[in-house]
Amino acid sequence: MALRNAVLRQLRVPVQTLGMNQSQIGFLGSIRSFSSNDDHLSREAVVDRVLDVVKSFPKVDPSKVTPEVHFQNDLGLDSLDTVEIVMAIEEEFKLEIPDKEADKIDSCTLAIEYVYNHPMSS
Amino acid sequence: MSGVSTAAYFARRAAQKERVRILYRRALKDTLNWAVHRHIFYRDASDLREKFNANQDVEDIDRIDKLIAHGESEYNKWRHPDPYIVPWAPGGSKFCRNPTPPAGIEIVYNYGLEDNP
Repeated sequence: MALRNAVLRQLRVPVQTLGMNQSQIGFLGSIRSFSSNDDHLSREAVVDRVLDVVKSFPKVDPSKVTPEVHFQNDLGLDSLDTVEIVMAIEEEFKLEIPDKEADKIDSCTLAIEYVYNHPMSS
Repeated sequence: MSGVSTAAYFARRAAQKERVRILYRRALKDTLNWAVHRHIFYRDASDLREKFNANQDVEDIDRIDKLIAHGESEYNKWRHPDPYIVPWAPGGSKFCRNPTPPAGIEIVYNYGLEDNP
């Protein structure tokens, strides 16, 4: 019994409490804590993908698309075209946007904000 | 007959425009439910867009209301019985499946249990 304890004392891995890891969290990024959803997109990825979706819309001139462009005022699109763009963004990020929220998305800035703040965008 | 544009008129027109947008959105999603293959979906989506565009210049408010009601009844007739819903959304297969655990719960790997066999 004493021999076993002595051997284990040599071999034991020191237990690290969570308090010590707090300083490393900023370096590692997001905490993995039981949630199965740890692939939050970075802002540049969201911006790039949203702009790609808007640029590949046939009625849009790709050279005019910037992250702050307004669909109806700047790109000259119809309200039905904004609906189509919002649906394309939904399909791109695998989101389900409620009807009332989708009606309010009017420009690239709003779309990027919504997708970035949505917890389930991927 | 109101040739005068009052605030109530504009409010009514804005409400109608919102109804049209929501109807178009639902109809487009429904078309995607029915026509899964992309080339068929594009064709059906452009047909739907043509139907909406044909009436876009109507100015008479009551006629617009009738057209919207007709469109909504058409949409209700064509609704898919088993629509595709994103899994984590209400009605989807993963909805409420793994709710987030309450905050502050951690696992502490207590390998020191060898002390108390």
